[in-house]
Amino acid sequence: MARIELNSIGLTFRVRRHFRMGLKEFLLGQMFRRSRNPMLDVHALSGVNLRVERGDRVGVIGHNGAGKSTLLKLLAGVYQPTHGTMAVEGKVSSLFDLALGFETDASGWENIAYRSYLQGETPRTVKAKRDAIAEFTGLGDFLNTPVRYYSAGMLVRLAFSIATAIDPEILLVDEVLSVGDLAFQEKARQRMHDMMDRAHLMVMVSHDLEALAKICNRAIWMDHGRMIQEGPIEQIVAAYRASAMTVKAA
Amino acid sequence: MKGLFSYLQAIWARRHFWLSLVRCDIRARYRGSLLGIAWSMLQPIAMTTILCGVFSTIFHTAIADFAPYLMAGLTYWQFITTTSLLGCHCFFTSECYIRQHPAPMAIYPLRTMLGSAFHFLIGYVLVIGLSLAFHGVGFISVAGLLSLIPTFVLLAAFGWALAIIFGLATVRFRDLKHLSEVGFQALFYLTPIMYGPDQVQSLLERRTVGWMFTLNPFVPILNLIRDPVVAGLPPALSSYLAGTLLTLTTVVVAGLALRSQERKIIFNL
Repeated sequence: MARIELNSIGLTFRVRRHFRMGLKEFLLGQMFRRSRNPMLDVHALSGVNLRVERGDRVGVIGHNGAGKSTLLKLLAGVYQPTHGTMAVEGKVSSLFDLALGFETDASGWENIAYRSYLQGETPRTVKAKRDAIAEFTGLGDFLNTPVRYYSAGMLVRLAFSIATAIDPEILLVDEVLSVGDLAFQEKARQRMHDMMDRAHLMVMVSHDLEALAKICNRAIWMDHGRMIQEGPIEQIVAAYRASAMTVKAA
Repeated sequence: MKGLFSYLQAIWARRHFWLSLVRCDIRARYRGSLLGIAWSMLQPIAMTTILCGVFSTIFHTAIADFAPYLMAGLTYWQFITTTSLLGCHCFFTSECYIRQHPAPMAIYPLRTMLGSAFHFLIGYVLVIGLSLAFHGVGFISVAGLLSLIPTFVLLAAFGWALAIIFGLATVRFRDLKHLSEVGFQALFYLTPIMYGPDQVQSLLERRTVGWMFTLNPFVPILNLIRDPVVAGLPPALSSYLAGTLLTLTTVVVAGLALRSQERKIIFNL
């Protein structure tokens, strides 16, 4: 049974103010002098409570840097919370940072296998869906060439085709509705909708409020790492729009 | 203990992923040809030939004993340095995977180690061939060959731990690889690779440098690797004890470091 439950989740990490430190700076600057490059606590998320049940389609809205994508990565398990407890039950598929994660010297075919294995597939299941993935990319003979010669659009097509070739229970989406060229976009949109229909629950980050309102039934509004409002999508979108308007007017 | 077990289970569950990446690395390195493999072996072979030429001319060292001794040491040293130095960047080169999908961090140093291990094995087969060519086909006893199985297990664990330690340390200090290269260069001369057994004995007796050879952490496993091809017999039990202790210590250090850093790595990439 797919389910997400977050109880007062916080995510804090420490980074250097100016640059990443080498041993040289550490020895010169830290041991003998007071640091000119102090540690900085980043509170990416704090006090987030959320329950998502089967059938929910949750849209996440908020300004840039509000913690929307961080929340998504936390749900995907890429980030671990530093405070609070969380439970994510169900097979997760995440669509974010799509163009990342290729072995550039390996061919498209090989990368299909690597990426699928990372998602937990086995040689047998990959073999079964390899051709369907290849077909969907529409890359044809290019799949035999190393990925380093692909254009940005081709990379995204390949990544999207692999990532969407599984039937997830939990679908996490971050602004990937515009993928590739026009023809591929249409295909991708269709596949996204199919996946959304099949997924038991979905959490989606987007700035496209129209699209969110069409797809989602619930929404959360994030600001500075906190969840400031939660409720039915129409209500939250209206409140968010109103606040954006006041900022503009002021 | 339970945590450790489930961690290892998670690594095993992702075996298709890291094994296929290792295969990819190997293919990229040898370009899928015998010539590619031969090419990559050129370095230890050339080193051995040159050093043998030098040592037999200057010190009148007997080549039959010295060549397998030297090449075994060089092959081992190449494994140690490539695992450690490539290990420095193992988390950075895997950043794209780390950012996309949760997986145990230990699989990325494991990939590095397995790539170098494959290379080491090819080199070691050549060393065995060299030893048999000089001493006759029956030179290495069956027990000597069998002793290589536990040796390779220790070497793999040691290499994996080294890659983890160097990888984590480089995430913390960016410039570590540079320093490590210099460090390994110095350590090469403090490891009995070029020096024959007699020279090592006299070095150990010197007060200024003897202790450095005694404390050198790369020596115990070197002995395990070299004994079968040099003497044809399995190493002494005391050598295994030293090698096991060293490996265990390194693995524990790597494990503890990884446990504290596993979740933080991503924020420092």
